[in-house]
Amino acid sequence: MTIKIKKIVINFILIILSFVLQTTVFRTLDFGGIAPNLMLILVASNGFICGDKAGILSGFFAGLLSDILFGTYLGFYALIYMYIGFLVGKLHEIFFSQNITIPIVVISIMDFLYGFICYVFMFLLRGRFDIGFYMMNIIIPGTVYTALIAIFYYPIILKINNRIFDEEQRSAKKFV
Amino acid sequence: MSPIIRRTGEEFTIPSKYLLLILSLVSCALMIITFKTSLFTGPLNSFSGIFIVPFQNGITTVGTYLKDQSDKLAEITRLQDENARLKDEVSKLTMENSDLKKQQYDLTEFRELNDLKDQYSDYRNSMVAANVIGKEDGNWYHSFIIDKGSDDGIEVDMNVLANGGLVGRVTNVGPKWARVLSIISDNSSLAAEDRSSKSRNILFVHGDLKTYKDGVITFSKLNDIADEVAVGDEIVTSNISDKYLSGILVGHITEIKKDADNLTKVGKISPVADFDHLNLVLVIKEKKEDHLDDYKNQKNSN
Repeated sequence: MTIKIKKIVINFILIILSFVLQTTVFRTLDFGGIAPNLMLILVASNGFICGDKAGILSGFFAGLLSDILFGTYLGFYALIYMYIGFLVGKLHEIFFSQNITIPIVVISIMDFLYGFICYVFMFLLRGRFDIGFYMMNIIIPGTVYTALIAIFYYPIILKINNRIFDEEQRSAKKFV
Repeated sequence: MSPIIRRTGEEFTIPSKYLLLILSLVSCALMIITFKTSLFTGPLNSFSGIFIVPFQNGITTVGTYLKDQSDKLAEITRLQDENARLKDEVSKLTMENSDLKKQQYDLTEFRELNDLKDQYSDYRNSMVAANVIGKEDGNWYHSFIIDKGSDDGIEVDMNVLANGGLVGRVTNVGPKWARVLSIISDNSSLAAEDRSSKSRNILFVHGDLKTYKDGVITFSKLNDIADEVAVGDEIVTSNISDKYLSGILVGHITEIKKDADNLTKVGKISPVADFDHLNLVLVIKEKKEDHLDDYKNQKNSN
């Protein structure tokens, strides 16, 4: 039980850390106004390493945080991040989380999807039809930058999760 | 066997598909509730005030300090060159200065003559400075967070300035932070007027993600039959705007052309405020609403 609480606390800190870095440091390190999406990396990694339920929960709370500070309607980003966490979580049973290539590819695809959904709901519905421009200037550069950061960020998340998993195993053995 | 029913001796768990369904419904409910009411803003804003804003504050302070230091080093060599050049210029300028003083005198007289009210001096007493501590997490809109909130008397719909020009307005307030929607954001638009033209033509200024990369924002619906509006004209916020105080400088026109309907004109405006290096902003602690209320009261008493 204590490990479960520890897991929740660590993920809570990770979400806040990602959000704060994303809105401050990476906003000054942007390329042409494009910053990487750390929260998406975190949500997708959580789903990939721990399964769909972890993906759903971390996606929901990460999105909610984004909603509180920057969203127009509460729950919009929560919904998007949650479904991304769920989709990636479904891959948990198929792929090994130790191999770095597949998670990076999955994260890139998810960031592309995220950008596309944002475009549809925030721009297309307001009559901004020039999808080519937004694709080339916002969505694809964002995806590339996110993938680049994910190469460094994913192993950190993996290491933290492995440590928690080891602890879980050890305490389980103790009680047997 | 149903997956929801708890078996004895096993920990109670919800299958992920039900969890997804429940949280989806919660999100949709939240969206509808926030669309209709402002029930949650108070407690949630306090929450982020405790957990997010202090970190943003600290990191931004450190980041700004480091950036300042590196900028300083880079500046030194440039400044030495500039110093020599400027000394030359000073001698030239002293000559020009005497000329300009005469013109300045003419200008003040002209101002008094026209009873040109300096709008900014009206608001000067109610301005409060704030630091920008965080920017929008997505790449789509351009909101940012400042480190002053309702504790400092900031309220929703107050106007925000920087570099003597309009930056945006407050859209969300927490105890120690506030979110500012900038005028360059794609979802922002405001009514403005051309101060330089004789008939003060009204136009609508929109933030635009597409043109923002070139440092300009767009305007449209300019009704200018007499062809008075020209490139370089000063655009200020209009009286008819219900969120922005009137007479605040927005920017200068850089491009103007006829709209597809041939009746109105569209074009581009280069904003006065420097949105790429936004660190310190001024919030005017006066709201257009209050002015409108005053106006209504006056009307009623008459």
